[in-house]
Amino acid sequence: MTRYLRLMRLFTGATLSAQLEYRANFVGAILASLGEVGVALLGIGVLFGQPGTDTVGGWTFHEALLVTGFFMLTEGVISVFIQPNMSKIAEAVRTGSMDFTLLKPLDAQFGVSTRHLNVLRVGDLLIGLGLIAYAASHLTLTPGGFAGAAVLYLSAVVIVYCIWLALSTTAFWFVKTQNASELFNGVFGAARFPVTAFPVPIRALLTFVVPVAFITTVPAQALTGTLTPALALASPLVAAAAFVLTRLFWKKAVASYTSASS
Amino acid sequence: MTAAWRKLRVLFSTRFAEMVEYRAEVVIWMLSGTLSLVMMLVWMAQAASAPDGKINGYTPAEFASYFLGIWVTGQLLVVWVAWELDVEVRQGTLSPKLLRPLDPMWEHYAAHVAERVVRFPAMLGLVALFAWLAGASFSTDPLHYLAALGLALLGFSARFLYEYTIGLLAFWTESSTSFQELVWLLYAALGGMFAPLAFYPGWVQAVAVWTPFPYMLGLPAQLLAGKASLADAGRGALVLGAWLVVFWFVRLAVWRLGLRKYGAVGA
Repeated sequence: MTRYLRLMRLFTGATLSAQLEYRANFVGAILASLGEVGVALLGIGVLFGQPGTDTVGGWTFHEALLVTGFFMLTEGVISVFIQPNMSKIAEAVRTGSMDFTLLKPLDAQFGVSTRHLNVLRVGDLLIGLGLIAYAASHLTLTPGGFAGAAVLYLSAVVIVYCIWLALSTTAFWFVKTQNASELFNGVFGAARFPVTAFPVPIRALLTFVVPVAFITTVPAQALTGTLTPALALASPLVAAAAFVLTRLFWKKAVASYTSASS
Repeated sequence: MTAAWRKLRVLFSTRFAEMVEYRAEVVIWMLSGTLSLVMMLVWMAQAASAPDGKINGYTPAEFASYFLGIWVTGQLLVVWVAWELDVEVRQGTLSPKLLRPLDPMWEHYAAHVAERVVRFPAMLGLVALFAWLAGASFSTDPLHYLAALGLALLGFSARFLYEYTIGLLAFWTESSTSFQELVWLLYAALGGMFAPLAFYPGWVQAVAVWTPFPYMLGLPAQLLAGKASLADAGRGALVLGAWLVVFWFVRLAVWRLGLRKYGAVGA
């Protein structure tokens, strides 16, 4: 375990020094973060801007802002930790450099998941946390709510990671996976609103088929204390199941890997 | 004239062949642009739960018509040229293109138009399905469709030109594609992707009417939904035409300055 932690520190150091060489990209990353938060805020801003609208899907403005905060935070988690690694899996399979990862005396899934880091998008994480803090300051919250939200957000991150890993693992069979992640981003866009803001049939889809609801709505519900025990239990269960399934899928993919030359 | 015509035909047919190769991707790209569909669902649920079943005079079905119109128009306005220019300038693949007796812009333009032809049938199928599921209804006047298509063509050309200009910023900066994201935000917000323009605060509307965005996205959508008149379309076309001229000259100026810079670094 400590070996893995030490490796993570090494990996982080290496990618940090590589990225800070390109200072101009920093400006670009800030602009992109501002764009993301702009889209997220405009979406709920216009909804609540209508005369006579106090709630959207039963959520007040500050409660809905919590969901937007979790959405931005997750965008940050994806662009800082998940996407930089996952997008390289397809490339490694195509060029054959996956061989080196598999040969190392280290769990290959850990290797491909932690090697890279996009520090430039840390802004998204900060914006997300800032939105959550701002929204929370206008609501009455309990310490239990905080603890619950933290745990449930952890399972949310696991779910997001598993979806990305599963999509990227398909690279072992299909050379390109970029499109699959595009599709995920499209569906994930729905997570900027509380799931109750959608018509009933869509809600079921967003909860059970693509578990978008668990990623932003459920942690926000935990904070506001409106979470049902069933959902509170379902989220970690879904995360655990997703983790086991993607782990098996990854193992199967690696077993069928025949390197780039053969 | 015949030489120009031949160039055009060759350009279009090669780009078309290339885009047909990508047909599976084209469908995925279509499905990944979901913001207007997400907004549609949220507004429909809002209207359904309002006491009189309406928000600002829009019923759920009218929201469906409007946002599906936005979705269709958005499909026709898709432009990715800034990404390609960014790569071409960075990797130097622009250089051989400069030797040809044709502005490289036309090659990109032809690729975009060819992709639209590949996209169109799949788009019609999807919008028919969505319209049936959401209960949307569209204008019955064929002239409205023609006007919407004309506006979309003008809007696409305007968007192509300004995105091309942003892409050319790659001559100077590494982050030209992030400028593109910010401009996309303006396009989406003022174009009416989040809500019909009438839902925005008055001062935003007052600013928006001077920009090309409401006429390229929101107006064609309103025409399709049967909520705008042909006179509106005419006015919109005039504004878009004026912007087209502006973008044309800005693009030309930036292109010339950029080439000088590109040559100066020895590429």
